[in-house]
Amino acid sequence: MLMCRELAGIASDYIDGELSTGRRLSVQMHLLMCRHCRAFIGNLRASAELMRGHSSARVEQSVIDRINHRITEALSHGTEDPDSDR
Amino acid sequence: MTVSTHPDLDESRLVEALKLGEQAAFTEAVSTYTAGMLAVARYYVDPGNAEEIVQDCWVTVIDAIRRFEGRSGLKTWLHRIVANRCKNLLRTSGREITTDFSERLEPELDSRFKASGRWATPPKLRFDESADALLENGALSDCLDKHLGHLPESQRSALILYEAHQRKSDEVCNILDVSASNLRVMLHRARQKIFLMVETFQETGEC
Repeated sequence: MLMCRELAGIASDYIDGELSTGRRLSVQMHLLMCRHCRAFIGNLRASAELMRGHSSARVEQSVIDRINHRITEALSHGTEDPDSDR
Repeated sequence: MTVSTHPDLDESRLVEALKLGEQAAFTEAVSTYTAGMLAVARYYVDPGNAEEIVQDCWVTVIDAIRRFEGRSGLKTWLHRIVANRCKNLLRTSGREITTDFSERLEPELDSRFKASGRWATPPKLRFDESADALLENGALSDCLDKHLGHLPESQRSALILYEAHQRKSDEVCNILDVSASNLRVMLHRARQKIFLMVETFQETGEC
C-alpha cells in the first residue's frame, strides 16, 4: 500500500505521465481515499504550471549587445577569435 | 486555414543565412537562442564564466554553422556546442558538478510526514485554480521570480531547458549529462520549492 510520503516523492512523475501502469494505478487508488494527497497533487500541478510561465529565461539586453559586438568584429576580421588564447 | 508561421521552414531559412555570414541572421539567432545557451552554461560553470563561454561559442558558430547538417534542430545543436565547451573546461580544470540527487523530497516537505508515512501537516489550502488566475496577483508573480532566482543553478537550468525543449527529457539529459531519473528529481524538487513558496504566500501574504 502506497503511503502519503511515498506518493509525494513520485508526484511529479505522476503529473507528467512518467509512471508505469501499475504504479499509476496505485497512485490513483490512494488519491481516491486521501483528500490530503489530492490537495497536494493539485497544488503541485499548479506549481509546475506557474513555473512553466516563469522559467522562460530572460537575458539582459547588454549581454545580447556584447555578443552581437563580438560577432560583428569576427565577421569583419575573419573568424579568428581574438580571445582564443584566454 | 490561414497562412501560419512554419518553424522548420523559418529555421532552415535562418540556417542558410547564417551559413552566408549575414549579420542580420546572427542578430536574430543571438536574440532567439542565447537564453537557452546561457542556461546550459550556467548549469556547468558560474554565471560570470557562463557569459564568456556563450560569447566564445557564438564566435565559433560563424565557422561551424557551415558544417551544420540539420540532423538535430538548431537549438539542440547550439546547446550541445555550449555543453561540450563547458565539459572541456571542467575537464581541464579538474572540477566536477556535484548535485545531490539522493532525496526526492525537500527537507521542509519531508518534515511534514509522520513516521508512519502519513501526513502530519497536510497541505493547508488548495490553490489549483488556473495558474493564470494566480499570476494576476502581481505580488505572487514577483515572489515567484524571486524564488526561481534562488533555485540552485542546476535546478534552474534543468527547468529552463526542460521547458525550452518542449519537455523532451532525453535531449535535456544529453545536454546536461544527467540520467533521466536525476533530471526527474531536479524537476520534482524545484516544483516542491515553488509549492512551499505559494503555500506560505497564500497563508501569510509574505514572500
